[in-house]
Amino acid sequence: MNASTTAWKQFICRACGLIYDEEKGDPDSGLAPGTRFEDIPDDWECPLCGVMKNDFERYEGFDMERQACASVPLARTAGVVIVGAGIAGWSVAEALRALDPEVGITLVSACRGDRYHKPELSIALSRGQAPEDLVRESAADAARRLGVHLLTETFVVGLSPTLHQLRTSRGTLQFTKLVIAQGARPALPAVLPADVCWRVNSLAGWSGLRNKLVGRKRRVAIVGAGMVGCELAEDFARAGHAVTLIDVQATPLAGLLPPLAGERLRLSLEALGVDFIGSTQLASIVRAADGSKRITAADGLQLDVDEVVAATGLITEDRVSRSAGLEFERGIVVDPVSMRTSANDVYALGDCVSMSGMPCRFIEPIAKQAAAIAHDLLGRPHPGYEHVQPVIRLKTKSLPIVVHGLPCPDGTWVVIEETADMLRMNQVRDGAVVARLEAGSLRQRLAA
Amino acid sequence: MNLADVSPSVFEPSWSDAQVMARVTEVANGPLADAAYRIDHEGHYPLEIMSSLGEAGAFGAHLESSGNRYGLAIDAMRAISRSCGSTGFMTWAHDVCGLYMEQSGNPALTGDLLRAHTLGQRFGGTALSNPMKALAGIEKMLLRATKVAGGYRVSGALPWVSHIAPGQYCGAIAAVYRDDGSRSHEIMFLLHCTEEVVLRPCPTFSGMEGTSTWGVRLDNFFVGEDDMIADPAQPFVARIRAAFVLLQAGIAVGVAQGSIDSIREVEPLLGHVNRFLHDRPDELQAEFDELGARVAKLALTPYDGSKDYLLDVLDARTQGAEFALRASQSALMHQGARGYLMTSAAQRRIREAHFVAIVTPAIKHLRWEMDRLSQEEMPA
Repeated sequence: MNASTTAWKQFICRACGLIYDEEKGDPDSGLAPGTRFEDIPDDWECPLCGVMKNDFERYEGFDMERQACASVPLARTAGVVIVGAGIAGWSVAEALRALDPEVGITLVSACRGDRYHKPELSIALSRGQAPEDLVRESAADAARRLGVHLLTETFVVGLSPTLHQLRTSRGTLQFTKLVIAQGARPALPAVLPADVCWRVNSLAGWSGLRNKLVGRKRRVAIVGAGMVGCELAEDFARAGHAVTLIDVQATPLAGLLPPLAGERLRLSLEALGVDFIGSTQLASIVRAADGSKRITAADGLQLDVDEVVAATGLITEDRVSRSAGLEFERGIVVDPVSMRTSANDVYALGDCVSMSGMPCRFIEPIAKQAAAIAHDLLGRPHPGYEHVQPVIRLKTKSLPIVVHGLPCPDGTWVVIEETADMLRMNQVRDGAVVARLEAGSLRQRLAA
Repeated sequence: MNLADVSPSVFEPSWSDAQVMARVTEVANGPLADAAYRIDHEGHYPLEIMSSLGEAGAFGAHLESSGNRYGLAIDAMRAISRSCGSTGFMTWAHDVCGLYMEQSGNPALTGDLLRAHTLGQRFGGTALSNPMKALAGIEKMLLRATKVAGGYRVSGALPWVSHIAPGQYCGAIAAVYRDDGSRSHEIMFLLHCTEEVVLRPCPTFSGMEGTSTWGVRLDNFFVGEDDMIADPAQPFVARIRAAFVLLQAGIAVGVAQGSIDSIREVEPLLGHVNRFLHDRPDELQAEFDELGARVAKLALTPYDGSKDYLLDVLDARTQGAEFALRASQSALMHQGARGYLMTSAAQRRIREAHFVAIVTPAIKHLRWEMDRLSQEEMPA
């Protein structure tokens, strides 16, 4: 049989979805089986809703394969629901499963949910890694291993703690306990448009940028010389790109380091070919016709680059928490021992929380927070979480920087050791040392 | 003596919330409750009741001229829907039509016609189901317009438009095409159902039969400046979109509340066995209170144009639809065979709740839109 001459076509009514099948015709309106669509009179009406023939279009079915999502069918029963499949979300799933093999766990993730170590994103390009190299375990594998119901590419849209109800873009979940591990999202100032500036805060974001950078030398501007900005600048420069690092402060990492240390960091970045432009406020970023981006600073400076990366800090998305009535102060307020939020049966951890009004966005505390939550949630004895300021390590190989304690804006920095290879300083406030920093290579430190 | 006894007989914007609710509740619990079966089963289009509701102030509270009292408009719609979901839906259609007219700023639409509309002396609905989905990228725009001297010529057909009839009107949107066939923009206009407009009976629906729902066909229909609501339409739609969706919450909570009523009604008789059911009345009441409080808060700022506000509204509207489904299902379980009688409000509310869940924006469209709004935008 010759398919090209005999294949029947189908046409769908754009108004009501009725399908006209040429093979079956529409005997009720006088169209015999086998009536080709083009042979139907123009004044023919949709037999269901009455719109006209020209409101029909060719129907070729919907390709479900193309739209497949990695979700497994969801058990619509109450249990523990975890929001977020980053390090924090998966850590809670691990901790819960270790304590209780039976408890029902559902994990809701806005992304694909694959497990990777986010800090590696800022050193992966110069290592020549691809996204698949960074994935340590696929979401589906982890879910199977831990007995977790997984809802990926699903956004949380609403929360009603008193009803134990979490609403998502794929339906509503009841929970007995909820753990919020939603993370933080890049804070984009108005001058940095989202459709022009990349952000490296997720594997997906990094992968998109990587696709633009791999295999050719590009001009990359990184806006914001905080930890992520400095690490990315070094990584991209090592990968062979022409990097410009821009910040409003005079030296890189000025929020953390005194000028003396910041100056060393600047010199080490410049030695790698990074062009640091400090004390500069941006006025606009515009995409040119050829795809390049023109950056204009408030002082008139202009710069043309291929890609722009925003590294201007993180904020915690607050809409759902606020409309749910959770206490919120720069993050979801949690009790620093139990990690409970202000609502019964709702916990939070990781980048999205704040303790004493301060977020703490480091990897190190997450496992301890997850353990505290898992115990408290299951009613198992546990001393709880004890907050200790994590040691800050900058992954800049050319000048490793380690900060102990948390530098404060009104402290005084004192030089302890200053050689060509090593700078040690202490920050003193009210006669006490509140922070220590070491800027220099590990080899030098070991030798000292 | 109740408040309604001392106030004038026809709504005025100076009426307090309590005055409006007293009047509206009187109509909703009286003549409307009595007519609910006729409306649902005989397809009775209750314009006489809509008139009383207009006089009672059910259609004016949300308008700027009454102080943007969206909370009151939603509460009135709740009280109406508690008795009859079809009439609740017509109240919504009537309310948003009044909103289009007032917000148009077009003197031809904001004068006597709007006043008559607000008081239930003239009637009109909304034909924005297809355009709302079209503007969200879900389907294609069905009405097409071309520019002519003094206005536009509009052609095309809409499958089902409610609360219209000859002599009535509805808000509509058409895509404007240039001579070369390319699309330029959209216009929004008040479509008067004159004899030039073909109204075609619809197939029988499983519910909402008393809402005077027709297929509409336009053939080179002239739309002049006096009928224009917005040209271009998109900025206008963006401004009123949250208010349009939020108002629908009134139907959802009303149907749910009627369902809770039905459960409580049989509690003395059947409580000894009904306690083995889930979604018991106290549980449903807790959700009614929680959702109602959130909707009331959102109703204070209907023109907050932020993405966060729109997401909050879409979420509340979705929850309302799911809640109405659950509550109506539970009411039938609680009522048992009584609720399964064709004359029973419980089985009617199941169909009404299904309507709340599928009317534009349907649950799936709401989730589609919330997903779209939640995506992180990245460079191409």
